[in-house]
Amino acid sequence: MTDQDLQNQIIQVLKTVKDPDLNRDIVSLGFVKNLTVTGGDVKFDVELTTPACPVKDQLKTECEQKVDAIEGVKAVSVNMTAQVRSSQHSQPILTCVKNIIAVASGKGGVGKSTISANLAVALQASGAKVGLMDADIYGPSIPQMLGIPISPPKAVGENKFLPHEKYGLKVVSAAFLTKEGQPLMLRGPMLGGIIQQFLQNVEWGELDYLVIDMPPGTGDVQLTLTQRAPLSGAVVVTTPQDVSLIDADKGVKMFQQVKVPMLGIVENMSYFICDGCNKKHEIFKRGGGRALAERFKVPFLGEVPLLGGVVEGGDSGVPIMISDTNSPASVAYKSLAGQVAAQISINQAREDKVDANFELAWKS
Amino acid sequence: MAEKQAVDSNHPSPKKIFQIDARTLGITWNDGHESVYPVKMLRENCPCAHCIDEWSGERRIKPGDISDTIQPVKLHSVGLYAIQIAWSDGHDTGLYSHELLRRLCQCPACRGK
Repeated sequence: MTDQDLQNQIIQVLKTVKDPDLNRDIVSLGFVKNLTVTGGDVKFDVELTTPACPVKDQLKTECEQKVDAIEGVKAVSVNMTAQVRSSQHSQPILTCVKNIIAVASGKGGVGKSTISANLAVALQASGAKVGLMDADIYGPSIPQMLGIPISPPKAVGENKFLPHEKYGLKVVSAAFLTKEGQPLMLRGPMLGGIIQQFLQNVEWGELDYLVIDMPPGTGDVQLTLTQRAPLSGAVVVTTPQDVSLIDADKGVKMFQQVKVPMLGIVENMSYFICDGCNKKHEIFKRGGGRALAERFKVPFLGEVPLLGGVVEGGDSGVPIMISDTNSPASVAYKSLAGQVAAQISINQAREDKVDANFELAWKS
Repeated sequence: MAEKQAVDSNHPSPKKIFQIDARTLGITWNDGHESVYPVKMLRENCPCAHCIDEWSGERRIKPGDISDTIQPVKLHSVGLYAIQIAWSDGHDTGLYSHELLRRLCQCPACRGK
């Protein structure tokens, strides 16, 4: 059999490999690149839509096994790569940012900032370029969690400033705009102004994902962001008890009203593992986050346990995703990152998206 | 994993927003519905806080307040859920959510309801 025949057979076989999230085969999705066959040696790239793809290894194995089974194939080498696609928008802000993820909750204190910081680190660890915007103007905690000392951002050119950098993440926060320990006391309209600055005046450079740590609730900042920032989607954080779920419910409804796609719901502080007995203690009841996700028919993105290491990491400036990548919390964060990235890719593949750049000049 | 999100079926989105003639706006929705709007009616139904009293919900625009020659100047999208219309009388604070626009549809079928 010639190499050309073999190549055709390989393509046929790869057409039976499906991306389970996008529900299409990897050939018609255009994922298969640089296929070469030399005397039975097969090499090709599979270019996914995100390096955080949760089924990356599964796809690789399936490709290898199916191609290897073809008669005449001596060796197979599959190289998994990723090119993050951009959520369509051509607004004049954040032009080099491909996808924007809002992390929100109805209630404060459910661990939004902890989830945001670790989600950002997990996306970055998968190989993506990631930024983190601390939009909690009154209670900015991201600098503390990442161990970034408070210093004013560096100005570049006219009216622009550079984000701080830590652990490969680019970070902006209102905390950098004040003296350490000083509260930022502002009236409502000023809030929108600061958010607008974060959107317009930060030199983010090229980013695959920008994670926005939202303030709690459904107020000014949330509205400004949904109106001005081309959000790819939102993650709502809740804890399992009813008092948190009631507010998470409102958070989900807010995003539905302003038609920001829900990437899913993540449950934080789901359980505590006792270091003495290794038993899972479900302190705040169980299953609430999953039930909420089912009610709204949005993906449930997982349960993050309550662990001493998570708290320690937040206070010491070394997120658990950096200090202990094998902790049950880090495993949950990695899974969260994979699912969030997958949901964004799924939304991008849909055809009935709303045009966020519509403009019409009336002819009289 | 992701069944179609509940938000889609209950809340259709515009697929195309276009000018039909000097006084009529048209919207084709992603569920196939085709809406028509006399622009004066849209101006009279402006949902902003100047035009609808914030506390009582009472409409402040009275019949005859809006000129027959009213026209949009420019329309643009706001986020993923609404459009903003700047009018020839200088008014531009109304955000028309997709939901409101769908309720205001003046096609024969919707008007008959």
